[in-house]
Amino acid sequence: MQLTRQRRFVTPGPDETVEALALRALPDQPVETAVDAIKSWNLHIFAMRKPAGLLLGSDVVFVEPPLS
Amino acid sequence: MTPRADEPVIVSADLVAGHDGSTELLVRLRHPNGAEGPVVLDEETGLRLMKNCGAAGLGELVGQSWRRIVEGS
Amino acid sequence: MFDVIVRNGLVVDGSGAQAFKGDVAVKDGRIAAVGAVQGEARQEIDAGGRVVAPGFIDPHTHFDVQLLWDGAARPALEHGVTCIVPGNCSLSLAPLRAGDRRQVVGMFQQIEEMPPEAFTTAFDWSWEDFAGYRAAIEKALSINVAPLVGHSVIRLWVMGPASQQRAATADEIAAMQDLLRECLAAGAVGLSTSFVDTDENGRPVPSRFAQFEELDALCAVLGEFDRMLQCVPEFFATDITIARIDQLAELSLKHGITTTFSPVFDNAATPDNVPRIMARVEEQFARGAKVWPQMQTRPLDLSFSFLRPSLYFARLPRWSRILRQDLDVKLHALRDPETVAKMVADAGPDGGDKMLGRLICRGGDAAPAAMVGRTLRDIAAERGQSCAQALIDLSLENGLDVAFLDASLGHENSERIGPMLAHPLVHIGASDGGAHLASFSTYGDTGYLFSEFVRKTGAMSLEQAVAKITGETADIWGLKDRGRLKPGLAADIVVFDPDTIDREAELPAFDMPGDGMRYVRAARGVETVLVNGQIAYADGAYTAARAGVVCV
Repeated sequence: MQLTRQRRFVTPGPDETVEALALRALPDQPVETAVDAIKSWNLHIFAMRKPAGLLLGSDVVFVEPPLS
Repeated sequence: MTPRADEPVIVSADLVAGHDGSTELLVRLRHPNGAEGPVVLDEETGLRLMKNCGAAGLGELVGQSWRRIVEGS
Repeated sequence: MFDVIVRNGLVVDGSGAQAFKGDVAVKDGRIAAVGAVQGEARQEIDAGGRVVAPGFIDPHTHFDVQLLWDGAARPALEHGVTCIVPGNCSLSLAPLRAGDRRQVVGMFQQIEEMPPEAFTTAFDWSWEDFAGYRAAIEKALSINVAPLVGHSVIRLWVMGPASQQRAATADEIAAMQDLLRECLAAGAVGLSTSFVDTDENGRPVPSRFAQFEELDALCAVLGEFDRMLQCVPEFFATDITIARIDQLAELSLKHGITTTFSPVFDNAATPDNVPRIMARVEEQFARGAKVWPQMQTRPLDLSFSFLRPSLYFARLPRWSRILRQDLDVKLHALRDPETVAKMVADAGPDGGDKMLGRLICRGGDAAPAAMVGRTLRDIAAERGQSCAQALIDLSLENGLDVAFLDASLGHENSERIGPMLAHPLVHIGASDGGAHLASFSTYGDTGYLFSEFVRKTGAMSLEQAVAKITGETADIWGLKDRGRLKPGLAADIVVFDPDTIDREAELPAFDMPGDGMRYVRAARGVETVLVNGQIAYADGAYTAARAGVVCV
């Protein structure tokens, strides 16, 4: 059975930084733009995580905004 | 902080019941692609967002940049 | 000669089949006959006008600690629950090295809100491995226990402090697999993991530091044993929950395991949350994956006091501004008549009756005993004040340490939730029994299922509701010996009044070790509970029976 399209996501690799993940997910964009985009799509991580900025191997990190 | 035209902004804010009995803040963001999506902020983050925006009421959060949500996190 | 015969009841056998009038006979801890039973028994129970059903199964609890001094998991048993699943959300009390106890106690306190005495005076730590914990609780069980083993403690055992710092190496993952095998062989019903929980310092619990490959490797072991995976996804975040469903489906299909995630909530602010989740669940089941969403029956309540910052008053800007200030500034403002008059005016022309009158004084704090359990409307009338004025004054008189409850503010629309609970792919559970002790009561969800969704809204038949929390739950969890009234199965039986079964009002109780407080709800309409053929609860009292077992 074909699954309906859902929002795409990746999970962080071991010790992967947000900058590295942003470049992996959005290779065509400048790093600052890519990082901003990743953060704005993943506030469940970047607004509430302690310590701030910590990426976890189990995180769901969206690589696109919500589907319209 | 005036949001840029090409970044997500808060278009609504409401209170919701957290699973642990706390009051949580549900903000809805409009993204540059036109899509809107909810983000549920725990009580601590919600209070911080209101402080970041100098807001005493939920209506004052509308129009604020997504960056306010991560400020001071 | 039977041991027990429950006579003349309305037998609802847990399969979903039509109820019928009949008897249920028990011998040697097992159901011996169902129907018109001839013969005698050492003890007969008259169930005329009552329902006779399999004991209820609660698949999401945190009774791990309480079971060490209370083998009935009070008050779960008196609500008709005869089998509980502790060890959810990645946390169990074994395997756990002595040197790591303090760390895990902190995580448990974060979830359970149990007083420190519960860990220092209420029991002896006599174990490190899972078999040892099993032996410790088995000494005096009057309820059955199907324990999960927690991913976080497995990780902590293998990796030590690094479990909350980094990804595991291949050797560490292999060691975790071996340890999980040992736990499953010792009676664990499955593995739990968490994507949301934190320790007492707010740091993510160890399971959250795992790469997907680590979870995949552990699920391979679950596949060897045909056991369950339970996880907690992010709340109210539909896109993330769908991502988690897809991850669980991948694991289910690859390893042939059953998975469940909890909780799933409905909410007026996110009305498409459950429909979208269920659409994805249906798609994944159609592919052959087993990904069961757990949904609780009870609504979500909010609580607050003036002592701690809260968003509760964010709809009232003046209240919000005042109550978020430092304590001395806040007290000064609340003692200023002019400020208070403006606050009362802000609460509405009725003095806050409509907005605040329904609030309930919770107790368990500095609230005078005479106020506990009463509505603010009632208290205000007695004081001859408006509701807003009474709220402020009562708080001031008690050092602001008076908590109020605003009931049913989420997951509360029964007309929506009834059909959701009745959905064949929704697993009723997620009670969190034994957790959040100082915040709200996690007991009585089964009674509420019958009172709200069978009697009041009619969303489910009596037979459907019983099947949901007995036979269907046993099938999902692979508890082959339980969940139905069928000859040969374990005699876990509840006799209840279908016209009155319910949960009572939430009240504070000081029955935790060290006189610690928790909120509880007593049962209504549950008359007799048998566990493995022995009467464990009858006529409003617990018996001395200790027939509970660890079951898989």
